[in-house]
Amino acid sequence: MKRLSFIARVSTAVLSACLVWSSPLMAQELIRIGAPLPITGPLSPEAKKLQNGINLWVEAVNKVGGIKVGAKRMKVEVVYVDYQSNTPRAVQATERLITQDKVDFMFSPFGSGAAKAASSVSEKYQMPTIAATASSEQVYDQGYKYLFGVYTPNQTLTEPLADLVAKQASGVQRVAILARNDLFPLAIAQEMEKSAKKRGMNVTYFEKYAIGTLDHASALSQIKSQSPHWIFATGYINDLILIKKQMADQGIEAPVVTMIAGPAYKEFVSGLGKGAENVTSAAWWHPAVRYQGKDVFGSTENFNKLFREKYGLDPDYGEASSAASGVVLQLAIEAAGTLDRQKVRDALAAMNTVTFFGPIKFGPTGQVISLDPPVFQVQKGKQVVILPTAIKQGNLQLGVK
Amino acid sequence: MLFLQILANGLVLGGLYACIAAGFSLVWGVLNVINILHGSFIVLGGYLAFFGYTQYGIHPFVSIAIAAPLFFALGYVLQRTLINRMIAAPVLLTLTLTFGLDLMLANGMLAAFTADFRKLILDPPLGILRLGALVLPIDRIIAMLLALGLTGLLYLTLSRSRMGRAIVAVRMDREAAALMGVNVKHVYALTFGLGALMAGASGPLLAMIFPISPLTGPVYLGKAFVICVLGGLGSVPGAMIGGITLGIVESFGSLWFGPEHATTLSFVLLIAILLMRPEGLLGRKGYA
Repeated sequence: MKRLSFIARVSTAVLSACLVWSSPLMAQELIRIGAPLPITGPLSPEAKKLQNGINLWVEAVNKVGGIKVGAKRMKVEVVYVDYQSNTPRAVQATERLITQDKVDFMFSPFGSGAAKAASSVSEKYQMPTIAATASSEQVYDQGYKYLFGVYTPNQTLTEPLADLVAKQASGVQRVAILARNDLFPLAIAQEMEKSAKKRGMNVTYFEKYAIGTLDHASALSQIKSQSPHWIFATGYINDLILIKKQMADQGIEAPVVTMIAGPAYKEFVSGLGKGAENVTSAAWWHPAVRYQGKDVFGSTENFNKLFREKYGLDPDYGEASSAASGVVLQLAIEAAGTLDRQKVRDALAAMNTVTFFGPIKFGPTGQVISLDPPVFQVQKGKQVVILPTAIKQGNLQLGVK
Repeated sequence: MLFLQILANGLVLGGLYACIAAGFSLVWGVLNVINILHGSFIVLGGYLAFFGYTQYGIHPFVSIAIAAPLFFALGYVLQRTLINRMIAAPVLLTLTLTFGLDLMLANGMLAAFTADFRKLILDPPLGILRLGALVLPIDRIIAMLLALGLTGLLYLTLSRSRMGRAIVAVRMDREAAALMGVNVKHVYALTFGLGALMAGASGPLLAMIFPISPLTGPVYLGKAFVICVLGGLGSVPGAMIGGITLGIVESFGSLWFGPEHATTLSFVLLIAILLMRPEGLLGRKGYA
């Protein structure tokens, strides 16, 4: 058994080496895009989402014959590399994809931290790179010309949230913030602090917890002793399920409880059951948004339909943003009419269009500035959009147990 | 009031920590084997409880009774067939062996259950206990009591039963015990079985409190390491004291220095103990 798998591995290696060798020939027909993803390790659930989105886009593009480059159509192939949830390996994988696999374009690794680390490699090789899941401004403030991200800055999430709460829950004065000590979760917590203070709220508690913390009981006891009106916790899905469960364990109740980023995922609701009720959150996309795009998916409804057909589930924002990064790259290549990296980069910088994901226009740093991220709340086990008004499905409910 | 609440949080957490570490400490102390598999055993016990509850409606407390003999048998067989062959080798080799076995088990679980975090939600929930202004979750209290009960049972087994005395005898002097007619290989396998039993039985307890994923195995293993060093190797009361100390230190560390420094503080304590009392708080060679 072991021997067999060894032979299988060797033959795969030889085969892929042949493929890489023959790539100058194949480059005529195929556009190859590198995608380093954390396929194994703690971030593997996120990588799965990103792969789902990218694969759906590849399928849709190849079904119509590929991306239109000048007069001909070229099919797309995505080369995945597993960086095992280890950021230094993501950087190595990016280098390898560009120099050895000779991909034509790149997708960033997952999250703000890894995307920032890998972006310097892309920049060195002048490789147009699309980041599907990097929102922190610190990723885009390096003066790089080849990095483009489809998430708006973090304050575009906290500002509408704070606005909504200030208007509809006037009694909210004391705010407690508990943040995971990690690039994105900490950055958005700091934005939240600014948004709250701007509206005259009083941030009485702001603490960070270490990555991998299992027990939040002490921090929560301290928060409880201040009886805040608004509890704002950041982290990834596992952290937030844990924090919400331990809040219930201590009998903590508050008019408003907001968590980012987790409640957008189905797993958050299934992992908490009734405990997820009335938790608010915000994300860059929600399946309830409605856009008529000029891309391969056409409209948000059609994207949702294709996604459901392929995976049997509604897409969440991570899955949509990875498909959107493919869409954006495709539109840029078609606008440039060539695979020339410089020209595709210029087409990305000049882009001003609408896609199933929303309007896409990049700011001078390469980060998208045109999205209007929805605010939502878990109501009766469903993520219900409460802002923007145009697509709202319900109203803000106060009181989280 | 906050002080009392934090102390109570720490005590409850400490009880769980004691349970995580007791089996690990036993195996390390008696066999001189650092069982890297320990964390994954806990996770596997957690999955047993999760699927038992969601698919067959078996309460996690009942799962403990199911997990205990299963994991004992698993541990016994593993020791008898694999680890006993290496037992005389330097500690690094047995560590490598259990590390390899852990890679297989952890990746097997990743393939079977995926890395998704699952949460066992009791329906109806056990609720919370209010003592004046003090609030404690009942699931944690029961889990802590059971953990302490299990740890106590392990202590009694080692100090009172024939099997336990044999284990302690082997730990004190392997050659002398063999000369007295103790079947050392069998005792080793029994010890490893008991260690696995403790891990497997704490799985369902922890599953009620923490999310379950193959990726949490190393977290439990890390805690077990710290607790063993704090309390002293191979000593069941040591594991209990070490666990409770760690629980309280983490809780107050979080209050005084902020949650991000809770772990830092526990490792500072670890280094301090290593410098001042390297055998641990209760570590004495040869006593259960």
